[in-house]
Amino acid sequence: MIKKLLNSDFIAHYGSVFVLLLLCSYYSYATYGEQHPISPSAGKVLGKRIAAEVGDGSVLIVIRNTAGDRTFAKAIETELKARSVSVFGTVAGSPAEIRKAIEQAGESGQKISAIATHQPGSLFGPLREGNINKLREKHSALSEVQVVFPKSYFWPSFLTRENIVNVVNQNADIAIIAIGMTMVIITAGIDLSVGSLLAISAVMTAISLESFGGADASVVTMIACGVLGILACAVCGLFNGVMVTFFRVPAFIVTLATLMIARGLALIMAVRYQASLSGGATEGTPEAISIQADAFNWLGNGVTLGIPNPIILMIVLYLSAHYLMSQTAFGRYVYAVGGNSEAARLSGVPVMGVLIAVYVICGTMAGIGGVVDASRFEGGRPNAGELYELQVIAAVVVGGTSLAGGEGKIFGTLIGAMIIAVIQNGLNMAGVKSYEQKVVFGGLILAAVILDQLKKRR
Amino acid sequence: MSRHSVLFILLGLALLLGCGGDNSNSSEESSTSSNSSSDAPVESRGTIGFSALTLKNPFFKVIADSLTEAGKAEGFEVIVNDAERDVNTQSKHIDNYISQGVAAIVINPADRIAIGPAIKKANEAGIPVFTCDLQCVADDVEITAHIGTDNYQGGRLAGKAMIEALGSQGGEVLVLHFKQANSCVERVRGFTDEVNEHNIGKEDGKIQIVAELEGGGLRDEGFSATLDVLQQHPNLNGIFAINDPSALGAYTALKQSGKEDQIKIIGFDGQKEGKQAIKEGKIYADPIQFPKKMGVVTVENIVKYLDGDDIESVQLIPTELYRQEDGMKDSLLQ
Repeated sequence: MIKKLLNSDFIAHYGSVFVLLLLCSYYSYATYGEQHPISPSAGKVLGKRIAAEVGDGSVLIVIRNTAGDRTFAKAIETELKARSVSVFGTVAGSPAEIRKAIEQAGESGQKISAIATHQPGSLFGPLREGNINKLREKHSALSEVQVVFPKSYFWPSFLTRENIVNVVNQNADIAIIAIGMTMVIITAGIDLSVGSLLAISAVMTAISLESFGGADASVVTMIACGVLGILACAVCGLFNGVMVTFFRVPAFIVTLATLMIARGLALIMAVRYQASLSGGATEGTPEAISIQADAFNWLGNGVTLGIPNPIILMIVLYLSAHYLMSQTAFGRYVYAVGGNSEAARLSGVPVMGVLIAVYVICGTMAGIGGVVDASRFEGGRPNAGELYELQVIAAVVVGGTSLAGGEGKIFGTLIGAMIIAVIQNGLNMAGVKSYEQKVVFGGLILAAVILDQLKKRR
Repeated sequence: MSRHSVLFILLGLALLLGCGGDNSNSSEESSTSSNSSSDAPVESRGTIGFSALTLKNPFFKVIADSLTEAGKAEGFEVIVNDAERDVNTQSKHIDNYISQGVAAIVINPADRIAIGPAIKKANEAGIPVFTCDLQCVADDVEITAHIGTDNYQGGRLAGKAMIEALGSQGGEVLVLHFKQANSCVERVRGFTDEVNEHNIGKEDGKIQIVAELEGGGLRDEGFSATLDVLQQHPNLNGIFAINDPSALGAYTALKQSGKEDQIKIIGFDGQKEGKQAIKEGKIYADPIQFPKKMGVVTVENIVKYLDGDDIESVQLIPTELYRQEDGMKDSLLQ
């Protein structure tokens, strides 16, 4: 029966989607546990509960000093006021500040019958059972005080909006680079240099931005510096392509060489730049070159319409790549070259041009990944992207692209990248220890590929 | 064909479920332990997330283990993740901790600047961040407390040990560096200052640093860097390696070239393998650090923070010199 199921058309066409869903449901099961709400709606419910249960005194609201907590506190306050329960005040801060504020509230003499907070707040020392008992004895105003916080509910911690957005956002750079890698692999090539190119782009963007713009760089300068970093990677991609076509060096060797050369160049640039900053006094360290322009982190850390910008960039690039590969002559050429380059040449496909183009595209995607990285970490890291090539290739292969060339789908790669991302995130969320993670990670990738390969073996 | 594939898939699924089995066991363990501990006065105080620099180096494994143990005793559940020296991975860990709503985050920053944005997110979520061993120097971030080694003092102590080891003749010295880590930069700065002060006013018997190479903090890199230097400086007299693995790598290189009697090695850390090597005379001495104490003090700081008590924001533990005679007395060694 299993065989029948695995051989059905559904699995054949949507093998990787199925794997992704399977993983998601498994991790949802594995991370099912207690959740502690800190939302305005939880605040509203809490307000109602306090109004119904708590006696005649007023209510003190205790939260941490964060934006989310403040909306939570606001909701409690609004609800309490609507039900004409008096609110003593809101204390927002660290446990030490909260302790002081509660002492002061006790000394004020006004009767407080409840302290409203959330689950993390209830773990703060001043609000724990033993300390509250002491306060009850010490201050008559607090003699009947209770600590109340929203009831917890059970839900998989993997399956929260925040976590899903995290997973996609954290791996947007891998997914973006995988676009270029898919094209290269469809032509039966490989590009090992992407991780190092990412570092070149990140470091060049950071250095140029610091040199030409500094702390108050204009938007135009920022874009120009990003483009410079991407162009540098496109040139490296051109080098890869020329080596593969004109000099007939195997792609594996060329890009392995580029991997090392580009990493070295990124480190040299970073160290020289750091040394020049200190006026040559010290030799410079291979650390991130920090970017002073605050607005630059918009790309990596900003949010538009509730969605992190790297995700939006990723989706736009995937849509364009899908169009390029499925609707244009170039896309058909790429598949033709990968399927049988001799046949493609005889039927008039500019094989060399196509090959060079895919390596340039791959370099460009790595460059874009580098700019996202520099923006996310507010600095150009010469060590960025180490071992990315493996993750990117894994994403492409898991997504159903054949290493032998000629077949593969852009959106398959997106699913592949998400499978890799979900495996890693899920292992962390499920609390699997780091040494075991490696074994499981490797095994799961293998299992995912085999499951997907079935459609070809039928 | 197809039958084989099915077999593979079943194996894959078995692996997946196997990991699940493991996991549910461990969560059962933690729930039973919290049940049994609820009889004791320890009540659950939430979760601590620890993103270690690298669990391949025993030093950080010791921090992780002592943090876990001390955390459990205080009623915390401790999650340990390995950043594998990659600040990108570490940032992902911090994002995960935030969405899990942990009570406190502990990190050994993988990059003292680039970790800034991730810490900022934790700050915005109101979760306290503690650093351990390595410090963060990014702008506009709030670190609740740091505990680490006084690396500059340790470097000076290493310099003293080198002076002691080389005696009045002085000689040529190699430094095996790991520049990526600021802690190591501090150690080398301390070492260089001590040696330079020693050299003041001396005509001969000076100690000269003839080479400073990347040892990567690893055995294999320390080994090959030392071999290279021996070609260039056959009269080398001493090596200062910024940690035990690279010191042991250097020793292997010396042994291979038959120069282990000519050249004295000073290491750093005092990990078990390092102490053993000191006892056996392979390494002359180590300024030793106290990773176990770092884990314990970090948990103490977390408890103090949550209780609203005062915390020392930066605590530096001085190193102590560990020589062969200390190794002889050490009952933990063979």
